[in-house]
Amino acid sequence: MSYHISACRQGEEGSVTQLPFKFRTSYQRILRDWLITAGLLALGTALSWLLMLVDPSGGFVSMIFVLMVTLTARLTNGFIYGVTASFVSVICVNYIFTYPYWEFNFTIAGYPLTFLTMLSVSVIVSTLTTQIKRQEQLRAETERETMRANLLRAVSHDLRTPLTSIMGSASAILENDAVLTPQQRMSLLRNVRSEAQWLIRMVENLLSITRMGDTEARISKELEAAEEVLASVAAKFQQRFPDIRLVLSAPEDPLFVPMDAILVEQVLMNLMENAAYHGHSTCIHLTAERQGEDAVFTVRDNGSGIAPELLPNIFSPTIHSQSHTSDKRRNMGIGLSVCRSIVKAHGGIMSAANAADGGAIFCFTLPLETLNTEDTINEDQG
Amino acid sequence: MKIKDKILIIEDEASISSFIATVLAANNYDTMIAHTGSEAITMITSHCPDLILLDLGLPDMDGSSILKFVREWSTCPIIVVSARNHERDKVEALDAGADDYIVKPFGTSELLARIRTAIRHTRTHLPNGDIAQSGQFKAMGLTIDYDKHQVLVDGENVHLTQNEYKLVSLLGKYAGRVLTYDFIIRQLWGPKAKSDNQILRVNMANIRRKIEKNPAEPKYIFTEIGVGYRMVDPD
Repeated sequence: MSYHISACRQGEEGSVTQLPFKFRTSYQRILRDWLITAGLLALGTALSWLLMLVDPSGGFVSMIFVLMVTLTARLTNGFIYGVTASFVSVICVNYIFTYPYWEFNFTIAGYPLTFLTMLSVSVIVSTLTTQIKRQEQLRAETERETMRANLLRAVSHDLRTPLTSIMGSASAILENDAVLTPQQRMSLLRNVRSEAQWLIRMVENLLSITRMGDTEARISKELEAAEEVLASVAAKFQQRFPDIRLVLSAPEDPLFVPMDAILVEQVLMNLMENAAYHGHSTCIHLTAERQGEDAVFTVRDNGSGIAPELLPNIFSPTIHSQSHTSDKRRNMGIGLSVCRSIVKAHGGIMSAANAADGGAIFCFTLPLETLNTEDTINEDQG
Repeated sequence: MKIKDKILIIEDEASISSFIATVLAANNYDTMIAHTGSEAITMITSHCPDLILLDLGLPDMDGSSILKFVREWSTCPIIVVSARNHERDKVEALDAGADDYIVKPFGTSELLARIRTAIRHTRTHLPNGDIAQSGQFKAMGLTIDYDKHQVLVDGENVHLTQNEYKLVSLLGKYAGRVLTYDFIIRQLWGPKAKSDNQILRVNMANIRRKIEKNPAEPKYIFTEIGVGYRMVDPD
């Protein structure tokens, strides 16, 4: 059985290629923090030096350095930078700015106090900074958890209806085979199929959520050509809705957008399906364009538009699933809230509006990281 | 009477294999069902099916090992049917020699279309896998002239660069099949080329602007996102 080995190779390669990237970012962050520390200390020194020219007494020097230590502790991650800054500051103040100049002399009264002040300021500020950051993280996590919980509740609630319908229709056919007319049988079977299709859409959305992972950082972005994403999603959509006319437009210059294409496709698909199911549109415009540092995707339909009372909370899942009366509406809230989380996870913004001439407009942005594609073209052709 | 094509369905879920078998039988195919990997291997070697539908998740072995086993000695078309929807799984299966990849859940019409395409490819392409050496490829308005190294759209030369021509002619050679990014890179720039597909994508974006009327509505070259590219079937 020699054909067993290479199944997992691809996966390993994937993790290997990701490693240097993570490594680099943490390395970059440490470098950045040290640069901030050094920069602020240099600034403090320069400032004190300049002020000394005006007022040689130098009473303000400690104050300036305390300020710099505070700033260092606030702007960096971890204690080491603030503590280092306080040490350096004390040495600096002692060596350069107090009598005897350019000499160390720690015997003067008040030095231990100055040093202790700076040290405690830096430690306290660092602790507070870390705490604030942790709290922010915690809040983001809670928000994500709430979204998931809401989604799960909404979904599991909504799964019952189509499952009941499928079960019921199938049993009806199995148990009443003799009495059913062919038309009745067909209509029951059609029921089964459309409910199953609805379940598929729901599951796709759930899969998108799991694909996003637990933290936003886990989205794996790759540069994708906007036109390829539009074409791909349009082809899939057209398979299911051959009667709806699609008008696609992509930018003249190739637009490469960092994204998880499967997730972005899901967003576009949800928006287009909503236009078809809820808006009863006959024509959908799908546009991708560049606006400054963002790629903007727009889905515009000619359907019935969005009810004004729904508009303010259109992206939150709970509102719809609890207030829905017609079964047709049930997928919309979940689909849209999934859309919003996907776009948010990419660092983009999503918005919805009604067009002046009728129909709904959904719009979302994906930030472009400046990556010079022009170089690769020249390199390749040269 | 026409001899029916024989299709082996390798699928452990009885409900799925039975519905596929029903649909295929209704569309004039002979069907066989294997529920386990070992059963499948016995049936492949003894029956030599015309096409294999392979589910990757089998109880006794990984479906991809069957793929590799068959590819060691046969070019029999294999369509992978899987619930795994990650691009990585598709790329792995295609690189291991699968002809196509269908994700569950799929519609019966889609399945039948894929089967027809896969069978047609083995019938038309394999005897002269190197048609790209000479002759012409024609699909709607697109012509690849392998003798003159030109690509024409509606009779007009579209002036591709060397790399762009190589890419289009490669896709033409395997028209109808999804070629993975890695496969294309290896074919175009050799086995040692680093598998950075950005250059490939930029090339493709340029080609699209030369041969397609609307780059967002391609008629000739389609993208399977995260997997690769596919040229439309020839006329």
